[in-house]
Amino acid sequence: MTPPLPVLSTAGVAAGYGAGDIIRDITIDVTPGEVFTVIGPNGSGKSTLIKVLAGLVRTRVGEIRLGAIRLTHLSAPQRVSTGVAYVPQEFNVFPNMTIGENLKVSTEFLGREQQATLEQRERVLAMFPEVAKRLKLRAGLLSGGQRQMLAFACAMMAAPKVLLLDEPSAGLSPKLVGEIFDKIETLNASGLTVFIIEQNVKEALRIGDRVMVLVNGSIRLMATPGEITAKHDLHKLFLG
Amino acid sequence: MIAQVVLNGFVTGMIIALPAIALTLTYGILKFPNFAIGAMLTVGAYFAYIANAWLHLPLVWAAVLAAVALAITSVGVDRLVFQPLRERTAITLLVASMGVSFVLENVARFVLGNSARSFEVAIARPQRYFELRVNMEQIYTAATALSAMLAIYIILRHTALGRAMRAVSDNPALAAVRGIDRERIARWMWVIAGVLTAIAGVLAGLDRAIDPLLGWNYVVTVFAAAILGGLGNPFGAVLGALTLGVVEETSTLLIPPNYRQVVSFCAIAFLLLARPQGLLGSVRVKR
Amino acid sequence: MTAYLVTILTLVCIAIILGLSLNLQWGLCGMVNFGMAGFFALGAYSAALVALSGAGTLAATVTAATICALASAATALISLRLSDEYLAILTLGFGEVIRLVILSEEWLTGGSLGLPGIPRPFWGLVSEKDYELLFLGLLILVVLGLFIALEILVRSPFGRAIRAVREDDIVVATLGKNVTALRVKAFAVGGAIIGIAGAFHAFYLTYIDPSQFSAIITAYTFMAVIAGGRGSNKGLLLGAAVIMCLIEGSRFLKDVVQVLDATQLAAIRLILIGLGLILFLIYRPQGFAREYSLKGSKLISPRT
Repeated sequence: MTPPLPVLSTAGVAAGYGAGDIIRDITIDVTPGEVFTVIGPNGSGKSTLIKVLAGLVRTRVGEIRLGAIRLTHLSAPQRVSTGVAYVPQEFNVFPNMTIGENLKVSTEFLGREQQATLEQRERVLAMFPEVAKRLKLRAGLLSGGQRQMLAFACAMMAAPKVLLLDEPSAGLSPKLVGEIFDKIETLNASGLTVFIIEQNVKEALRIGDRVMVLVNGSIRLMATPGEITAKHDLHKLFLG
Repeated sequence: MIAQVVLNGFVTGMIIALPAIALTLTYGILKFPNFAIGAMLTVGAYFAYIANAWLHLPLVWAAVLAAVALAITSVGVDRLVFQPLRERTAITLLVASMGVSFVLENVARFVLGNSARSFEVAIARPQRYFELRVNMEQIYTAATALSAMLAIYIILRHTALGRAMRAVSDNPALAAVRGIDRERIARWMWVIAGVLTAIAGVLAGLDRAIDPLLGWNYVVTVFAAAILGGLGNPFGAVLGALTLGVVEETSTLLIPPNYRQVVSFCAIAFLLLARPQGLLGSVRVKR
Repeated sequence: MTAYLVTILTLVCIAIILGLSLNLQWGLCGMVNFGMAGFFALGAYSAALVALSGAGTLAATVTAATICALASAATALISLRLSDEYLAILTLGFGEVIRLVILSEEWLTGGSLGLPGIPRPFWGLVSEKDYELLFLGLLILVVLGLFIALEILVRSPFGRAIRAVREDDIVVATLGKNVTALRVKAFAVGGAIIGIAGAFHAFYLTYIDPSQFSAIITAYTFMAVIAGGRGSNKGLLLGAAVIMCLIEGSRFLKDVVQVLDATQLAAIRLILIGLGLILFLIYRPQGFAREYSLKGSKLISPRT
């Protein structure tokens, strides 16, 4: 049986901010419906990688695809239309707009039909009841955890095929971290592919179907959490 | 009399408010102060003059034509000059806008020369309300400016375009990953800016003679108004403009009238020292 | 013909002095002075008034430099902790204020009628016929002097500190250097240079009025600096020469093209300057100088 076409794939991607490449030779194939997590020490290039996928940083070399669609030269807004939704680590909502406006603005320029948009909105509000309750509240007044939920909800408004999450646990208390990752699992359970970069190794190993270790800009390891805990010394990997 | 001065200042402030909104929208969405705003106002006035004095259209229609023409011009200038410089620093865009300012002002000068012109409008007698002298131009100015401001309010608060503009102004990277194309928004922003500035040009042309330096006379005050309101905040710009209009007009009781822009300059200097984010802006101005 | 060349060279020298100032303020320190025309006027009028009072042209020059330096320092202090465009706005406003004051305070500046009869340095030393040459020689000496002084400044610890500030002022501040003082001083020195240019402008023409100080001077200077390569004083020499030739050359248009009137030709010239500025910024921001290493990735912008 032929393996399913990867929902998100990169081939030989290298990218950086000018002088040199921060990530190089990145080749990944994400299976539809999986939770793919990327871990690595600070400065390993995780952040650059996810921004490259989102379209915020240009690839110097290599290809990115969403299924059969070539993403490499598409701008970030174009990628949202094709089905990639990115949740930044910080400044991930518009604080001066209400929750309702944040949600609206996340779909209004995607060129989707009215009906499809309304249906997705209903689905999102159902998935995020905490958000649905407070549509008139200014987003700037939300707590850290609530803001993160809103950021997820906004990304989901675009009915994405792949959700890119940038350190979703950053700055949150352990209890909130648990809630956030539960939410991620729920979203994944409905068939959504999730690509996460994470500092929190424990959660990354718990939730990931596959884990990739990125050190100094290149891939050191790609395996299931089971394989990693059994066979590899992550400490050594991170330092080397 | 104080009340008269305040009234006059208020009306002048309304003329200033329109280009101030345009300036602040440009700053919010494209992150640079557009020095060509004065020249745009001048060109808007000239478009209206051509429609009114050469084509003999009534002023209202001349204004509409001018608004369309300036909107197209603004989008064109953006395409040719500012878009190629989109990724560069604010200073580069600033210097480029100075170049644009020279080109626009002197195209007007080339076509129509240096002599002062005025619109063909019927002369109306000033009205008197409760001891205040109000002339027809002031009434038109107030009505037009208020309508324009109301329209902007509705657009920004209640339309998808307005939400998208606020989003891009607040956080362009986040807006991009939420699917909003900054270029499309920028184009609409220039259309709005062109319409507002053209209307201001017509109103200014009713107030004083139309010559190539018409807009230049307002530049410092427009900038001061936008800074006072907080660069990037359109509602602030209106507030700033009305305040400065009244302050400038009141100052003419004490100092010579041609020093009005000096008053606004001092306001800028004071603001930048004490509260650079203005009345309603965010504190993101520091380096 | 020689007389014409001397005139052109004199004007080029004054433009070069203005360009040196902008290269220092903007090229080295990254501080944009959009009120250049205003500071120039301030220098010219200060020098003129002092010289007319009989104190001598040297005193006049020193006064002009000092006044402009102080005004520049004040302007820089106000906008110091704000991002660059605020200084640009402030200096633009200042330029306007100066223009208005000059036009209005007729008792001091003669208003739109200006100040005639400004004395010249070393007048009487040579015959009237040869004076232009002497003046040019003096001016060239001044330009050379400033050129050398600035090259020394750039290589000095002060210059290195300033360059470090432009790249990353947070780092410099943590190193203990007083960032504020550095930037204000640098901007003030630039202002002093503009004052000197103003003084020589006043001496050269012996009659100044507000129409000589329009914003176009700011545009010319920016164009010369950008054409020569921002920060490069050697490039500036070439840039200023090219711009001046363009301006003076277009005067000949008036004789050749009969169809257009004087106002229109003046307008065309200004349109060309504006376009030139824009085209340089878009297509050759590094000017005639050797390529900067403009950094690669476009989303993290190269600092031009």
